[in-house]
Amino acid sequence: MAHFAIADETQLVEAVCAARETREPFEIVGRGTKRAYGRATSIANTLDVSALSGILAYEHDELVITARAATPLSEIEALLNQRQQRLGFDPADWGPLFGARANAGTIGGALSANIDGPARLRFGAARDHLLGYRAVNGLGEVYKAGGRVVKNVTGFDLSKLMCGAMGTLGVLTEVTLRVYPRAPESATLIVRDVGTEDGFALLRRVWSSPFEPTGLAYIPDCAAKPFALGDCGQGAALMRVEGAAEPLKEKIAALRTLLKGRALDRVDNGEAILAQIGAGAAFLGRDGDIWRLSVPQASAASCVERANAPIWFADWAGGLLWLGLPATSATALRAIGARAGGHATLFRASAESRASVPVFQSESAAHATLTKSVKAAFDPLALFNPGRMFEGV
Amino acid sequence: MLFAPPDPDILARRGKILAGLRGILSDGVVSEPAGLAAFDGDALTAYRQAPLACVLPRTRDEVSALLRFASAEGIPVIPRGAGTSLSGGALPRADAILIGLGRMNRIVEIDLENRCVVAEPGVTNLAISRAVEKDGFYYAPDPSSQIACTVGGNVAENSGGIHCLKYGITTNNLLGVELALPGGERVQLGGKTLQPGGLDLLGVVAGSEGLLGIVVEATLRILPKPPVTRTVMAAFRDVPCAGLCVANVIAAGIIPAAMEFMDRRCIDAVEDYCRPGYPRGAEGILLIELDGVEAEVTDAVAQIEQIAREAGAYEFRAAADEAERARLWAGRKAAFPAMGRLAPDMLCMDGTIPRRKLPDVLARMAEMSERHGLGFCNVFHAGDGNLHPLIIFDVMKPGELARAEEFGAEILKLCVDVGGVLTGEHGVGVEKRDLMPLMFSDTDLAQQGRVKCAFDGASLLNPGKVFPMLSACVEQGHMHVTGGRVPYPNLPRF
Repeated sequence: MAHFAIADETQLVEAVCAARETREPFEIVGRGTKRAYGRATSIANTLDVSALSGILAYEHDELVITARAATPLSEIEALLNQRQQRLGFDPADWGPLFGARANAGTIGGALSANIDGPARLRFGAARDHLLGYRAVNGLGEVYKAGGRVVKNVTGFDLSKLMCGAMGTLGVLTEVTLRVYPRAPESATLIVRDVGTEDGFALLRRVWSSPFEPTGLAYIPDCAAKPFALGDCGQGAALMRVEGAAEPLKEKIAALRTLLKGRALDRVDNGEAILAQIGAGAAFLGRDGDIWRLSVPQASAASCVERANAPIWFADWAGGLLWLGLPATSATALRAIGARAGGHATLFRASAESRASVPVFQSESAAHATLTKSVKAAFDPLALFNPGRMFEGV
Repeated sequence: MLFAPPDPDILARRGKILAGLRGILSDGVVSEPAGLAAFDGDALTAYRQAPLACVLPRTRDEVSALLRFASAEGIPVIPRGAGTSLSGGALPRADAILIGLGRMNRIVEIDLENRCVVAEPGVTNLAISRAVEKDGFYYAPDPSSQIACTVGGNVAENSGGIHCLKYGITTNNLLGVELALPGGERVQLGGKTLQPGGLDLLGVVAGSEGLLGIVVEATLRILPKPPVTRTVMAAFRDVPCAGLCVANVIAAGIIPAAMEFMDRRCIDAVEDYCRPGYPRGAEGILLIELDGVEAEVTDAVAQIEQIAREAGAYEFRAAADEAERARLWAGRKAAFPAMGRLAPDMLCMDGTIPRRKLPDVLARMAEMSERHGLGFCNVFHAGDGNLHPLIIFDVMKPGELARAEEFGAEILKLCVDVGGVLTGEHGVGVEKRDLMPLMFSDTDLAQQGRVKCAFDGASLLNPGKVFPMLSACVEQGHMHVTGGRVPYPNLPRF
């Protein structure tokens, strides 16, 4: 068991070249906030890349930022905040759910795990924001992909592949992201005491409205307590809209018209509540396994009913269901997901469970073959996080 | 441009190959020279080559069977949608089977509850928006060829359009595809969910220019139509001032739905052509479209007017009504045919640069124009820094074509030098294939090449596109227009 802490890209290349000789793979670790996410592996060596930190260029007038991959997300967000800008994919802080410190994750970790949050519904996922990167592949080569401008179709879009790859394709060293202006104000509205089916239908109406909601969540009674929303009855539908003062007023009025007959209250601490939703705060301080079910919005209510989880809540107008169910529910949940055209991820569970139950939904035979070929195209000796996503990848 | 010579062995087997294809498709095998001539290229008209055969499948099973056959026989395959590629993405080879997807033109499902449309690859881009407009939705990517270009081609080329500044390009509006792999197997990548699991293969398929597989079905996100849309025009006496205005609008935190630039030569040509009401005498104009709720649009228009005037705009006006708005855009859309009337020949470039480099790059292009002794005009998607300089020349004058190509290559090199890229939306294809080393090292290109191999080990899908050949004859690519005739003259060009 060895721990390799590299100081820069040159040392990283040396470490990878050495590993090519010994054929000993690495677990890639930044600040270690998500080591309990993904399939459990027993990789002896860790590759500590946390020194690859620092913002290299922030061009606020270009809406672009370039940073070393292990730059803390909090550092990037603080800088963007100074210019009233933000990361559109709204990366949530998953650390505490995995027993790690709050606000400690890195940008590279967020991209590799494809983390996003409530605003993803409006702005897209992490993969929609990575414009380009530098990385070291399994041949020990430094290479770059993409560019530093938003509109670019030059060559294959490898940036998409790196997002959500769980570090299986290489070690990111630098990333360039597009950023968005942050609206001057936001308003989070709540409809209380609304049942599951009704609540999801209401969220979909807002999702299909042109008022550009940046958060559409449903919190049932069973999960309401940690969000301190007061009395929610059967459950609460939350919706966030943004803008300058006047446009925001207009959007709120339009939502009232759209949902006429519903009591629409404004919550005071909407930003904090939506951040908690992204972070899965309903499960904070509770033991037990967590699943995330990704389904087409219109199937959310039926999936929830079939899953029958004692505690759950929904984000993305029903597109994402957080479910408190044991790892052993895998077969049933995956059948529910598959029936709806979605899929289930075992989000949090013990290492034993994450070794025996596939964490990510299995792929069809042809798809799995392709996945393995793509892995080999980047990392032919399987040096980077082998098995973290799928067995043999 | 250097092309690999056709494989004589494949040419010699033509009869047997045609018989094999006819065994798969009862009709829809084109083999006569006159029929093949209709498929001998795309909108990159400088290059023409009839394929060995053209097949027009109606079903995804037929596509699979054709790919299985081609793979077993070792014959290259060129996928084609409507053939509107500006970079030669659908350019055939003499030893290749061209698979035209135009007959697979059904909209499979309109799913308003999940805000998506499932379509076969031969459905046109505009047909998607048309299919959902009565319900208040539209499909955001709007390449200028949208009345003709197809969904499958859009995925392959990762098409953009005027509105991608705010709403993203194809990849950002694509939820899933069913992809036929070179051996004929099919995989479903993504679907109607927001987060596909596993490696994001869908992400690399979008924009892969037909090198990784053939899209037989796509699931597209549709957006609700904005309640208010307003277009404004700002006129400048100085081109770099317009560039400054663009940068300042974005820096002020405004993301317009569209922000387009035209220079004086272009304004004059368009005014002569269709009188959209642009101010003659302006050195440059910006057309800016804002959408959202009323207060949002009103706020943005007021802010933009102030920014434009500070940057030196001497005229600023908002379209008074829908008719005037349509007229302002009609002029922009007519830019290419209008220029085509004036110039014997044109080259259309497609680089992207960081927005704040606009004033500098515009000034340096003017200087290059002087040096090369060739005129040019600028019409482009200013909001995202995507330049489309049109170089004007006369192919009949000795040396002018070569000078025009040098000028074009110099522009693209400048784009890369200032931190931009070779192509913002037209794709690499054959056109910019040999310029790829300007942007990528051998190592970078080899990594992309290995991804190609992961999907298509025998390299049978669209060979000769995107990646430079080993002994590349470096020649700059372009869209070549002769005698004012443009490919698809009825399509608006951006």
